[in-house]
Amino acid sequence: MRRETQNILLLLLGGALLKIAFTGTYLRYVKPSHQWLLIAGGAVMVLLALVSLVRRPGSGHGDEGHQHSSRGAWLLLLPVFAVFLVAPPALGSDSVQRSGSAVAAGDGMEAFAPLPPGDAIPVSVGEFAARAAWDTGDSLTGRAVTLTGFVVQDGGASYLARLSIGCCAADAFPTKVRLDDAPEAAGLRDDTWIEAVVTLVPGSARRDNDYTPAATATSIRVIPAPEDPYEH
Amino acid sequence: MSTEVREPQAPGPTRRFRITSVEVLCVVLLLALVGQAAFVRILDVPAIRTGATVFVAVCIQALPFLVVGVLISGAIAAFVSADALRRLLPRRAALAVPVAGVAGVALPTCECAAVPVARRLIAQGAPSAVALTFLLAAPAVNPIVLVATAVAFPGEPAMVAARFLGSMATAVVMGWLWARFGKAQWFAEHALRRLPEPAGGRSRWRVFAETARADLVDAGGFLVIGGLAAAALNVLVPREWVNAVGDQIVLGILVMAVLAVLLALCSEADAFVAASLSALPLLPRLVFLVVGPAVDVKLISLQAGTFGRAFAVRFAPLTFVVAIACAVLAGIALGVGR
Repeated sequence: MRRETQNILLLLLGGALLKIAFTGTYLRYVKPSHQWLLIAGGAVMVLLALVSLVRRPGSGHGDEGHQHSSRGAWLLLLPVFAVFLVAPPALGSDSVQRSGSAVAAGDGMEAFAPLPPGDAIPVSVGEFAARAAWDTGDSLTGRAVTLTGFVVQDGGASYLARLSIGCCAADAFPTKVRLDDAPEAAGLRDDTWIEAVVTLVPGSARRDNDYTPAATATSIRVIPAPEDPYEH
Repeated sequence: MSTEVREPQAPGPTRRFRITSVEVLCVVLLLALVGQAAFVRILDVPAIRTGATVFVAVCIQALPFLVVGVLISGAIAAFVSADALRRLLPRRAALAVPVAGVAGVALPTCECAAVPVARRLIAQGAPSAVALTFLLAAPAVNPIVLVATAVAFPGEPAMVAARFLGSMATAVVMGWLWARFGKAQWFAEHALRRLPEPAGGRSRWRVFAETARADLVDAGGFLVIGGLAAAALNVLVPREWVNAVGDQIVLGILVMAVLAVLLALCSEADAFVAASLSALPLLPRLVFLVVGPAVDVKLISLQAGTFGRAFAVRFAPLTFVVAIACAVLAGIALGVGR
């Protein structure tokens, strides 16, 4: 492959990183703190390509080391096309159905800190599930809280689900809450984002159901997808 | 500079127009733009959509770290002479290998960044055993990874210690094994070619920029292959494997070791995934954490591209076995899961 082609590919790839970093679509793929890494990485790529394009070929010593074919570089087009032409959506119900449900580790011996006071305070789905499964202090019992997530219809039941990522979407793991007595949720399509005020059904998160809690919903409101679709 | 040696060349000088990779690229870009709608339609299947998202995620997560790696590689080529490197390292490989392991602690790079750095160290005359120890240690035992592990496993300090011990042992044992049995001819010829010593100040910066750029182009393609593999496996490997294992410890260790290779998670995040697999005992999850940063599909692809296939087919399986053994021994020694 000619050096010019390599440089154009690098420009495109660096541009792709910069584009998703500045438009906010990077939140579909990586955690928020990655933004500056993407900007720096993309900028360095663009810079290296520009330096090489501007410099007259053959004027330096550094070129002799790379005389082998670099056909593999064509593959750099794949992420470029994926970002500019396809822009895959954030992970959603398909991932949830693929991998069941997971709850952060706990030993069932500890009491969680009490929830802050207030009616229907917002709680992350991950924390809701962890408290439901492990809290010996029963901090959720009788408390109405607000959960934000997307709808997953599975086996006749409606779930409110959310994915957590540690670093990027490859390591996403889902947490879900079964919504009981919620006919309005049953009519919603998969991946519809909702904000639900729910109360935990005590004792519903057990080992035999992978610690998936159930909750009764008092209100369900359809909302636009949040800017950051994941919990961290 | 003749990177186009394998380009299709037009036959005689009579033709005025030659088809080079630049023209090919233009046609490919044009076709992609025209066919965009068809593309998107093909991808509109839930499984493929999920795979595409994971693919993009793996690529853009790893690319900035690869950039860091090629910048360090370029800096070594331009500013660290082979003599200086030799003076820096203990002469005997048996001693230099643990030094390289400790150096890995101080340089928090992700596994993708470590590959071009290790290659450049070898090209500049460092013993290959030392560079490979660094390659295995840097992504696995650095402070960021250990803190992430501590956060993911609250109340299990033995997990952090065992991860450190298991990963460090893997790196050092692999270094010693390589010093004893490794052969230079397993490396691809291009991987070891040393760049000429730069002549002066300006020339050094040129070497720096050109080395970094060429390394990035080289390694980037293989990172993409690794990303494709990881995305496909992420969608295809059923997570029920994990649940089916239950409390069977030996089976659990094997399944988690294979999962670590197939899922290719970054070492900063794998602890959270391991923590979420609460159906399993701790020892198999420790194996997952030690194997993952040392060998996974993304790394195998990068190593095959950087060091050559003959190297990768020997190094990756051996690392896999050594990492499992070190993880199990470290886990038992430190009483993980008891």
